[in-house]
Amino acid sequence: MRCGRVGRVPPAAKLALAFAAVLLTVLLPRKPDPLYAVPAAILLGAVVACRVSPIYLLRRLLWAEFFILGIAILSLFSPETRPVCLAVLLKSNLCVTAMLLLTWTTPFHEILRVLRRLRLPAVMLATLALMSRYLPVLGEEARRMERARASRTYGGGRRVIWRSLATVLGQLFIRSADRAERIYLAMTARGWK
Amino acid sequence: MHLPDGFLDGKTALLTAGAAGTGIALALRQVKQTLAPRQTPMLGLAAAFIFAAQMINFPVLAGTSGHLVGGVLAGVLLGPAAAVIVMTCVLMVQCLMFNDGGLLALGANVFNMGIVNVWGGYFVFRLFQRMPWMEPNRATLFAASFAAWFGTVLASLTCAGEIACSGTAPWGVTFPAMASIHILIGLGEGLLTGLVLTAVLRARPELVAGWGGQQRVGGSGFLSYGLLVSLGLAVFVAPLACPWSDGLEAVAKTLGFEHRAAGPLFPSPLGNYHLPFIRSAATATALAGVAGILVAFIGAWLLASRLVPKLAARKDHANSQG
Amino acid sequence: MKPAVEIRGLSYRYPRGMVALDGIAFTVAAEECVALLGPNGAGKSTLLLHLNGLLPERPPKEPSIWIDGQPLVAEALGHIRQRVGLLFQDPEDQLISATVFEDVAFGPSQLGMEGSELAALVGRCLESAGVAGFENREPHRLSQGEKRRVCLAGVLACQPSVLVLDEPTSDLDPRGRRQFKALLRGLPGAKIIATHDLELAVDLCSRVLILDEGRLVADGPALPILSDEKLMLAHGLEKPHSLFHHHPHR
Repeated sequence: MRCGRVGRVPPAAKLALAFAAVLLTVLLPRKPDPLYAVPAAILLGAVVACRVSPIYLLRRLLWAEFFILGIAILSLFSPETRPVCLAVLLKSNLCVTAMLLLTWTTPFHEILRVLRRLRLPAVMLATLALMSRYLPVLGEEARRMERARASRTYGGGRRVIWRSLATVLGQLFIRSADRAERIYLAMTARGWK
Repeated sequence: MHLPDGFLDGKTALLTAGAAGTGIALALRQVKQTLAPRQTPMLGLAAAFIFAAQMINFPVLAGTSGHLVGGVLAGVLLGPAAAVIVMTCVLMVQCLMFNDGGLLALGANVFNMGIVNVWGGYFVFRLFQRMPWMEPNRATLFAASFAAWFGTVLASLTCAGEIACSGTAPWGVTFPAMASIHILIGLGEGLLTGLVLTAVLRARPELVAGWGGQQRVGGSGFLSYGLLVSLGLAVFVAPLACPWSDGLEAVAKTLGFEHRAAGPLFPSPLGNYHLPFIRSAATATALAGVAGILVAFIGAWLLASRLVPKLAARKDHANSQG
Repeated sequence: MKPAVEIRGLSYRYPRGMVALDGIAFTVAAEECVALLGPNGAGKSTLLLHLNGLLPERPPKEPSIWIDGQPLVAEALGHIRQRVGLLFQDPEDQLISATVFEDVAFGPSQLGMEGSELAALVGRCLESAGVAGFENREPHRLSQGEKRRVCLAGVLACQPSVLVLDEPTSDLDPRGRRQFKALLRGLPGAKIIATHDLELAVDLCSRVLILDEGRLVADGPALPILSDEKLMLAHGLEKPHSLFHHHPHR
């Protein structure tokens, strides 16, 4: 397992730990405080212990940074909320790191199992399960359609892009509906009610 | 619009989580009554579809790009209750698999993008779908396109309100910023929603639940959701929108119970708006909003008029060949 | 001995009114392997969906299908679905779970099996399908051939007495085809295989049915029908190449 010994921790514990980490970080005071070092140190230790790939860490943090900065900047516009900005930036990044650890160590279907034990409604569980299963399949289909469209496009600018984008999405929806029908038949054939 | 963790304070996170939970519970009840087992796998596939759709970037203005939210598209395609569940699942997967959007902020994100977006948009959709001066096919496309714009803007308002309520940034800044950006992004959403719907309707009209005004939602459904969305707006948006709270105070004075009014539930972080530039920003945003409504309205109209004859022509063509 | 499958007078119309099946009647004995051939649109897949009770949408009051002597009516649907294992054309639509184990366990867990008994069954079925040890693999990362075998394992896990396969070798490479054929040869029970792969029919099947425009136009021993070039060409097929000259891969 790519995360060493940590991988053997039960997924329910990992989810609970992530939740606790986020909660505690959010409850920290609204001004940058030496207390911030506590979750920071714990998370750093966890990052090392779980052997998180630095590329993974950087990529996800950078992606999140975009949104975090975008909103944090708004707090700079008023003298009342200015001191909050740095605190919010730090807290946010700490929370992202905590969640990042969760996704690194726990494949989604294990999280689903925990959600099932937590008695999440059946409709949502089924939707989450099928969604996570068929996400890459739809991605592949969309890529193939996009490639086919691109191979027959010889220019035309923005309008063509919008039009073909909509066509690809529309087709994707229709194919998904057909696939859902076939999945229903396959599930029913094996006794699902 | 995916809020990361750390921007909402405890009370806002709890309130939005409660509102989201209520909305999901309502949706689940409705779905249980109206969804046939045959259609259950469709929810999962639709969720994957919306996720894929949300990955589309479209350029908005000099460097910024927008993302599709897809709540209104989902609402028109699947019916609003199913759309709530689909959007919730999309947001959950985005949070738990892709770290897009915070864990404690999930309640707020679900409320904004899963409930306000879906139901605010759907309400407008149904309102405009029955416009008497438009041919029904055209009216549906127009309504969906405009509703998509409206839903996006509405969701951005509650999002801005939540940030302001948490004291993270002043309303006078978040409102213009979020609203103006999403007034623009919403146009892209409206356009894309209209185009995608046309593509689906051309090939398989029976797949669209909202087509032909199918009554998938009873009156009580509308009422409960309407209450929920209005409450959300009242709690997160209204107290911070200065002209309205001035108006409320005036009303209270007139009716004589001003002395009974307690202090504001959410003290405005901006005090009494002594900063003139922010006041004008708010006005500018209001103007932008009006401009946005006009553009979205006219845009949707044009879209529907141009695309619907093609739909009709296709149908005739198919009939003559059949 | 009761036939594994018996069909008498089966007809079906699509919802839009077109006739899909017209007066189908045949039987399949307990250990027989039957090939269902026919041009595209003949109704092969539609017929196969009837065998599992997935069509018609509302189960009939008057049965036209008997599985192991039991009539296919509404009350018996659950039982029939367990006895008839249907392998669909696209394995992607059949592999619905996050891991191979969960997917193969899908059928038996619906029937109430759990724990170590279930795990043992899953292990056995994966082994019979030639994909032993795949329990923790993710369906998305499997090759096409592996996906098909996992689907087969999932169907075998329900312990059916009749195996119905819809185009099982359609997207396999030649080696995959050979391996799958060998696999099928070793499986007990009656088998009905709808296929375009005529060599498969030659190699595995003792009997052949030809379906064209919803009607059964041929029903008999495999070699004489397959060698009848005129008949094969008349129904959108052709005489298998191996029957023209000696086929080394028999």
